[in-house]
Amino acid sequence: MRSPLRTALLLILAALVLAACQKAPPTSTAEVVVVNRASLPSDPTATAWADVPVHIAPLLLQDMVEPRLLTPSTAEVRVRAITDGIRLALRLEWTDSTKDDFPGPALFSDACAVQFPTKVAAEIPAPQMGEKGKPVEITFWRASWQATVDGRGDTIKDLYPNAAVDHYPFLAPSLENGSPPQREMEARYSPARALGNRMSGPRERPVEDLIAEGPGTVTSARPAGSDGRGRRTKDGWSVLISRPLPDGLAPGKRSQVAFGVWEGSQREGGSRKMRTGWIPIVVEAKK
Amino acid sequence: MARVTNWQIGREMSYWYSESRPKRQFAAVFDINKCIACQTCTLACKTTWTSGKGQEYMLWNNVESKPYGFYPLGWDLKLLKELGPQGWEAGAYQGRTLFEAAPAGARVLGWRPEEIDYAHPNVGEDDCAGQIETGAHLSVPHLAWFFYLARICNHCTYPACLASCPRGSIYKRPEDGIVLVDQGRCRGYQECVKACPYKKVFFNPMTGTSEKCIACFPKIEQGLQPQCFLNCIGKIRMTGWISRPEKAQADNPIDYLVHVRKVALPLFPQFGLEPNVYYIPPIHAPRTFLHQMFGPGVDQAIKTYRAAAGDPDLAGLLGLFGCTESVVPRWRRQGDNVVGLDDARKEIVRVPMREPVYISPAFDSKYGVVRTNCP
Repeated sequence: MRSPLRTALLLILAALVLAACQKAPPTSTAEVVVVNRASLPSDPTATAWADVPVHIAPLLLQDMVEPRLLTPSTAEVRVRAITDGIRLALRLEWTDSTKDDFPGPALFSDACAVQFPTKVAAEIPAPQMGEKGKPVEITFWRASWQATVDGRGDTIKDLYPNAAVDHYPFLAPSLENGSPPQREMEARYSPARALGNRMSGPRERPVEDLIAEGPGTVTSARPAGSDGRGRRTKDGWSVLISRPLPDGLAPGKRSQVAFGVWEGSQREGGSRKMRTGWIPIVVEAKK
Repeated sequence: MARVTNWQIGREMSYWYSESRPKRQFAAVFDINKCIACQTCTLACKTTWTSGKGQEYMLWNNVESKPYGFYPLGWDLKLLKELGPQGWEAGAYQGRTLFEAAPAGARVLGWRPEEIDYAHPNVGEDDCAGQIETGAHLSVPHLAWFFYLARICNHCTYPACLASCPRGSIYKRPEDGIVLVDQGRCRGYQECVKACPYKKVFFNPMTGTSEKCIACFPKIEQGLQPQCFLNCIGKIRMTGWISRPEKAQADNPIDYLVHVRKVALPLFPQFGLEPNVYYIPPIHAPRTFLHQMFGPGVDQAIKTYRAAAGDPDLAGLLGLFGCTESVVPRWRRQGDNVVGLDDARKEIVRVPMREPVYISPAFDSKYGVVRTNCP
């Protein structure tokens, strides 16, 4: 009969051997390397990401334009990228001990964004939201939108289960639900939606396509088919953002990319954020 | 930052944008002494504008009891504490405005109310300051006191909400000075909620945008007073247009009350926003409290107001409050009548200075019945 000590030692040895055999993900320090694959993963936890080189991008304070962020929060974002030749999938991961996905007064959602120049040219736009005549394309993911897409309802009761609401006039029994007068009346009490403000919902995707030509100019873009999926990890967020392959990116070709991360618990929103400058991004040449 | 003129503080000040006054400026006078806090104004606004999803907690109009009432909680005290003690000298403000006191990285000194700060809209309601332990007699100012403060957006000449928005989603209409949040452009950064010292911008969690009082601009465009004015039971409110002091016209009701008679005062003028809702201060509350809230003109305003009974023009104009749904841009007194006029000096409304009095005798000898004191 084996002694318990000997069994334990054997188990530890086996674990060490297994750990040594498991490949650490390759690291790309100078640039984001986009790997070619036949298909894109649809989830940030997919095994397809395991052997994709990771680029660790240190984050900087947005302290160039008011309102500025003066206290650093998220230190870095870990980025991996895959393309199927048509679309680009990026996985952003960062450490965040608090899950902030609740909208409300003085509540801010965790979020991240990916930015590309709209056109690849000799003179690249300013990394901070582009500049006049040199626009940038941004795909923005927000944790509160992810919660909505994942099934959290869009009513005050879903946010505050003990809330009591006397009456919504547009839900009066005299109005047929879904009828044109009922919908017209409901829109009257939701002006942002009535005006077609895309960030105001109702929400089907956790991301929004944006375009900007400098700080303060970010505007909803015609949906470019971006999508996303964010998942909470044991120490932060893992977010997949997919979009059509940006201008200039093809096997062996390069462009620039920038990232932004917002820490909800630190009340970061809008220009109060951690961000990178431009980082080179290159698509692997086809073998 | 640009240098702009703020007549309410008697000096130039710094502001994010250069001075650009509208063609005419929406303004209002509220007579605090007549408010009974019935909240009819609050409900009129609520049912008209904020009965939607995500607007449940919003009160674009509210009435709070001072000194212990607030919506949101401590809106004024927290900011006064942040700003610290400041002073006036000979009618000019010597301290720092919210724009001049802005911390590094921000455009305005402000603070952000938490969810819980919106949870008690009637906190402090009818709570008196002070206690009466050994008996007292009635005097003015009262030993124990409170007063009602009805509040809407001040549609400021130098709005902090507008200055703070990094993407220019808030604008001041050039035709009437009404300040609006562009609901198609707002992205819900809540910078305006933080910056507005009066806390009259609210974040809508359902749409993710910030919303605020719109001065019922669809009514204003038709020459009508906003809903909270029309529905005021106590007839404490009057809508109108305010001129700069050097261009004040005595036949403009707002100019007359604010500039000519100086009986109506801005709320916290020291913040530097040049707010355009003017208050006739309560006559019974301690002056130190009122000085802090309405500036150095309080003593003169109360003195003038208390003498209104022997001042037919002032008393007459105060009688015009709440007498018509129309905005009254001009007025005049004609003997025992006060007349409200439109811009073309055409009569809108005529109000007697004194209501006719009819006395019913207690005993009607014709029919042999007792008319009053019936069991």
